[in-house]
Amino acid sequence: MGVQLLAGFVSALTFAHLFHVPKDQIVRSGVVGGLGWAMFLLTKGDWGEIGGMFVAGTAVAVLSELLARKWKQPVVIFLIPGVIPLVPGGKAYLTMLSFLQNDYLEGLELLVSTVFLAGAVAAGIILASSVFRVYSRARHVKGEVR
Amino acid sequence: MEQLVGLVLLAGELLLTCGAEMYRVEETVERMGIAAGFTQVEIFATPTGVFISLHATDGRVYTRVRRIRHVQNNLATISEVNALSRSFSAGQISLDQVREELERLQKQENPGGLWSYLIGGLGAASFTLMYAGTWFEALIAGISGAIVLMIVSWLEHRPVPKVLQAATGAVIAAGMVTAAADLFQFNFDVVTLGAVMVLAPGVVMTTAIRDMLSGELVSGVSRSAEALAIAVAIATGVAVILSLGGR
Repeated sequence: MGVQLLAGFVSALTFAHLFHVPKDQIVRSGVVGGLGWAMFLLTKGDWGEIGGMFVAGTAVAVLSELLARKWKQPVVIFLIPGVIPLVPGGKAYLTMLSFLQNDYLEGLELLVSTVFLAGAVAAGIILASSVFRVYSRARHVKGEVR
Repeated sequence: MEQLVGLVLLAGELLLTCGAEMYRVEETVERMGIAAGFTQVEIFATPTGVFISLHATDGRVYTRVRRIRHVQNNLATISEVNALSRSFSAGQISLDQVREELERLQKQENPGGLWSYLIGGLGAASFTLMYAGTWFEALIAGISGAIVLMIVSWLEHRPVPKVLQAATGAVIAAGMVTAAADLFQFNFDVVTLGAVMVLAPGVVMTTAIRDMLSGELVSGVSRSAEALAIAVAIATGVAVILSLGGR
């Protein structure tokens, strides 16, 4: 478990480097990814993998929006490395493997599961970011920010 | 005036080539255009091109179209252009400074190099660990991931489509892991999975979601399609090697 938590953090950190996140923000985007992965590991037992992904996606998006406002950076700087640990690569791989072994029934099941997992992360991001956007728009209209 | 138009266009182009979301491109261009003294700024940005119309105070309208052919994700440049446009519209820096900075960013090459590949390899290794691989499996995934990144970044500088880059990378990753499997005992799947994760289209995927969210349907749909195509290309690349290896 400890190793997996650390690996989640390291994967977000290294992908932040690959996507050229500004150097002074790399560690923060790694932390966002690490916390997202931790949320998934903690909640998947009770709420299932899809529920866990949704919670993790929401957490990553909320953290990214907050950090972006605090450090005056585009949200994607934290959001993109943050969702990297949540990419359902494992399920996608098994889907491919099942189709390759002519096990179409299993393959379809895994495919639907992969799509749902990815959809859950997307739904989490959409939910969190919409709330933040409504808030910013409201301030925008009032003339507090330009 | 002509120079101003060019400058605003350059800012938009830089953001697009670095993989920014559409609303950021449009907002930045609008902000810079207004700050540069235009009365009205209209922009329509898509992932493959941008149209800009700037209305000057003397009633003239300047319209420019810029085709975007080559995208190379660089979040640092997005952050820098964003900061530049903000301090320019706040009147903190002059037009010449903005031009200098934008031209410097345009010439700047994406930093690559051995160090970068090794860090990418570390990412591949951590994915293997996340999917409950052992330290030894992580090591093999890391080495393959680093080599894959090296080859893919070589392909990036050549006119090779992104989908083909991803497929080639996946073929090489799976090939190397297959070769290693002849020498050592380990879980083939979890190692290959880690090694191909360095090819995952993380930037396109996330910006697709955010584009959809801000109502940019054209770019949201096209970026989703790109992410899906890359994912399928990776799966195909691995599948080719697996079926050749008789699994």
